[in-house]
Amino acid sequence: MASNIAATDRLAAGVRQDDGSAGRRRSLRQSAEIALFLLPALLLFIVFVLIPLVEAVYYSGFKWNGLEPLTNWIGLGNYQRALDDQFFTGAIAHNVFLLVLSLGVQQPIALALALALSRGFRGRTFMRLVFFTPYVISEATIGVIWLLVLQPNGPLDQILGAVGLGQFIQLWLADRSLVMTTLFVVISWQYFGFSMILYLAGLTQIPHEVREAASIDGANGAQALRYITLPLLGPTIRVAVFLSAIGSLQVFGLVFIMTSGGPFHASDTMVTWMIEQGLTRTALGYGAAMAVILGAIGLVFSLLYQRFVLRRDIEGSVTSFAG
Amino acid sequence: MTTEIRPGSTHTPASRAWRAINRVLFYAILMFVAALVIVPMLYAVLSGFRSTGALAAAPLGLPDPWITSNYTEILTSGSFWQAFGNSALIAILSTILTLVTSSAAAYALARFQFRGRNAVFNLFTLGLLFPLSVAILPLFLLLHTLNLLDNPWGVILPSVAFGLPTSIIILRPFFRSIPSEIEDAAAMDGCTHFGFYWRILLPMSRPALSTIGVLAVVASWNAFLLPLVVLSNPETHTLPLAVRDFNAQYTQDTARVLAFATLSMIPALLFYIAAERQIIAGLGSGAVKG
Amino acid sequence: MTGGQAVTTRRRLVGVLGVMALLFSACSSGATSSIAPSAAPSVAASAAAPSGAASPSASAASAAVTITWWHNANQDPGMSFWKKVADEYTAAHPNVTIQITPTQNEDFKTKLPLALNSGTPPNIFQSWGGGGLKQQVDAGKVQDLTAATASWTSTIIPAALSPYQLNGKQYGIPYDLGLVGFWYNKALFTAAGITAAPATWDDFIADVAKLKTAGTAPIAVGEKDTWTGAFWWEYLALRECGKDKMATAVNTNSFTDPCFVKAGTDLKQLIDAKPFQTGFLASPAQTGATSATSLLANGKAAMELQGHWEPSVMGPLTPDGKGLGDKLGWFPFPAVTGGTGTVTEDIGGYNGFAVSKDAPPEAVDFLHYLTSVDVLSRWGAAGYGLPTTIGSETSITDPNLKELISQRAKATFVQLYLDQAFSQAVGAAINEAVAGEFAGQLSPAEVQQAIQTATTK
Repeated sequence: MASNIAATDRLAAGVRQDDGSAGRRRSLRQSAEIALFLLPALLLFIVFVLIPLVEAVYYSGFKWNGLEPLTNWIGLGNYQRALDDQFFTGAIAHNVFLLVLSLGVQQPIALALALALSRGFRGRTFMRLVFFTPYVISEATIGVIWLLVLQPNGPLDQILGAVGLGQFIQLWLADRSLVMTTLFVVISWQYFGFSMILYLAGLTQIPHEVREAASIDGANGAQALRYITLPLLGPTIRVAVFLSAIGSLQVFGLVFIMTSGGPFHASDTMVTWMIEQGLTRTALGYGAAMAVILGAIGLVFSLLYQRFVLRRDIEGSVTSFAG
Repeated sequence: MTTEIRPGSTHTPASRAWRAINRVLFYAILMFVAALVIVPMLYAVLSGFRSTGALAAAPLGLPDPWITSNYTEILTSGSFWQAFGNSALIAILSTILTLVTSSAAAYALARFQFRGRNAVFNLFTLGLLFPLSVAILPLFLLLHTLNLLDNPWGVILPSVAFGLPTSIIILRPFFRSIPSEIEDAAAMDGCTHFGFYWRILLPMSRPALSTIGVLAVVASWNAFLLPLVVLSNPETHTLPLAVRDFNAQYTQDTARVLAFATLSMIPALLFYIAAERQIIAGLGSGAVKG
Repeated sequence: MTGGQAVTTRRRLVGVLGVMALLFSACSSGATSSIAPSAAPSVAASAAAPSGAASPSASAASAAVTITWWHNANQDPGMSFWKKVADEYTAAHPNVTIQITPTQNEDFKTKLPLALNSGTPPNIFQSWGGGGLKQQVDAGKVQDLTAATASWTSTIIPAALSPYQLNGKQYGIPYDLGLVGFWYNKALFTAAGITAAPATWDDFIADVAKLKTAGTAPIAVGEKDTWTGAFWWEYLALRECGKDKMATAVNTNSFTDPCFVKAGTDLKQLIDAKPFQTGFLASPAQTGATSATSLLANGKAAMELQGHWEPSVMGPLTPDGKGLGDKLGWFPFPAVTGGTGTVTEDIGGYNGFAVSKDAPPEAVDFLHYLTSVDVLSRWGAAGYGLPTTIGSETSITDPNLKELISQRAKATFVQLYLDQAFSQAVGAAINEAVAGEFAGQLSPAEVQQAIQTATTK
């Protein structure tokens, strides 16, 4: 792989005869070609991603309702407001809550299911199909359905009552101390299949020989899992965890539809509160400040993660089977 | 770890019983999870066949009698198919545009050497760190200035733009790993860069491209925040927005709302069943790596 | 590569560029058929604006005009009624097309500002006057109707016109003015041993206890939609403070009087009695089978403090479409002993329409038709609300609404719901503050502080 890339780079540099003459001639034509290939994506990206991101930072310095002219510069005032805003800090706490639960509960379950499905058994393909299905359904549909399932004395409560678990019935969405956990369950329900598929893919990458060698050496299931499978699955786990964590920070649709951040801010996430302030209450400057904070949190997390966690994968050490 | 080989240890009655219990437990847990997934969706489907009064009186129950008017009336009204059409148009155009622009950019970044190449690539990865929600407010204003509100392109262009980082990150290593001998041979045959891209690179990358394409279709089909903000006119709404509209408009008719939700699930499910192997194969081919 | 190949490359370049150019040019012509036609019609000078007759006079205009209309009756039968009115108008004015977008009430808050900012704002849109309208007027999005309506605004109750006036100019036309009051299930009240409507707040608390003993959920409140809980606080504030202090507070953004804390204390007394349905914090107000209004309509709760639209919302929420039928009763908010206010002071709201800046004259003419005695009498007779055109209120036959109208006639003061009286941002903050008390998170003093902060920010 390494030699391949080196060769490709040499090729890309236009060095075919290993003299310098090709270099200068190719620069004009190749520049045009590079531009042609790169420009559409770059243009779209700059216009619809970079410019709005920069504008978000710009707008965050104003007090602005979107209708009046942009004249009320308040510098860091919106950021101060965000830090003082108990609902925003509460929203951050909720996102962190989701992140922790994702890593601690959702990922292990997805991994366990992937391990289960990686064994050959009848009905495996069907199971795989079923588990991934919620991922392909829109959040709007899922939100509407679960809202009805979770209503007081609704289907869930009735099922619990019918199997004798009646004393566990709660106000799933109205209880302020419980609503975030309930939402976590619904969010996991939708997304666990995606993580599971990633793990499955990673598992199929582990060569048979390694497992056979392990069992010849007398390792039982648990030992094989702990000393062979999981370490080899490392890169995949780290990617899945990363995606799950970033996703937890950005949760919007399901919460918006099911609770709108309620009851009384018990289920606000950074994005729902930002949309509420920025669009519904037309405090666009404030909304932009919250957006920048959200972006900054994501950025810091990603950089730290890349530096400390993913570094071993990028260096292509023992765990490069997936390469 | 012991190196002792212990033959025959799997055939004692005790271990056989343990394995049997193990297997039963295994299937039981899997079936339980499958039930957790299927039951809510089944609830939606079946509730569409009941009346709202019946739902209010007994939230959990089988249709009795089976009322088909909810489904038939939705299917014959224009609004479902209009939303379906809007979703399909946006999904198809977004996917094609994503594939074309991201593969072209990934090609340039993978197989050309030029100053600032790494900077450009890092610029794209920056986009991965900032989700749509961070940019949505200024993006809305920008689209307003460009007169792209209430316009499918107002949804398509930003979707493609935000999907570029992931696609490029997936494709670039893929493209790089194509052996240089092939490109050498192509050049020897007088193939231009574009020809190589179009005739050799893309076909060779079909698994990765299919995965990206399928995931792009699913993401576009189910997108909520961007269409919500961009499309005000209900006639331009995509299916997820239409589900919400329907819920708001026929709010008292819970059964009908569930019927609409069920119908909106079907295109996604059908597409998924058809493309499932593709998704699995694509993800499994190592397209998604660290 | 040889020279020949270079030429081919250039041709291919052009081809690719051409394809991409095609793709992008599609957007400027608005090629897809799912986009609704533009709302900015070209108005020919020959389009004559009809004069102030009540019935739609046939217009001699020849140019085709399209009017876009966003209203909030997104459920039947109200939705069909407005459609019928539009059809009647277009039948008499064949050159006019009216394109209706029924929009859910909650969505107006997000969709309307976006639409007003876009290139295609709706010509006619729902308006509740007050601070929301002021913001739109200040941003130059609303048409000044003073001249166009001068000949016929005298046919409308003055009390209804004033929330739509700013700086002496008319910026909207009302068609509905109603009061918030208690809608209750007569049968459940009788079964609990309540024989008369509570006259004071203490009577009310006692009645709540009686209902609880009888096993019914005394009050339905849909606090997921925080504006419903706000009604309670606003009425108690009005009772404790009286109309003068309330009007001053609203006009000077100063809610510092201790009577506003007392309102919260009264409310706390109620909340502590736990009179609401299970899970009320997550119940929507009017949407769907789990909503507060649905509970009242299906006999699962005894009363709800709601606006005058309640009967028309209740109907569709029941299997037979008839709501509570003759079991439905209405009584006004009781007096609060020791408070400055009286029972002739009410919290209420207006419904009306505003017209966007560049809308054609036909839009105003349509509003004239809509607010005619004939149309609004039919509207009122169907029970959709309390019409504000003089002469149309006699059409109300529903006994509950008749009681409301007589209460309205006696009213010495009607305070617009606070979340409409102020801008959207402040209104949301007010509702949110009261929701905090319902959720047990804010004390009465903290609610008052939160509202004070919101209105002065």
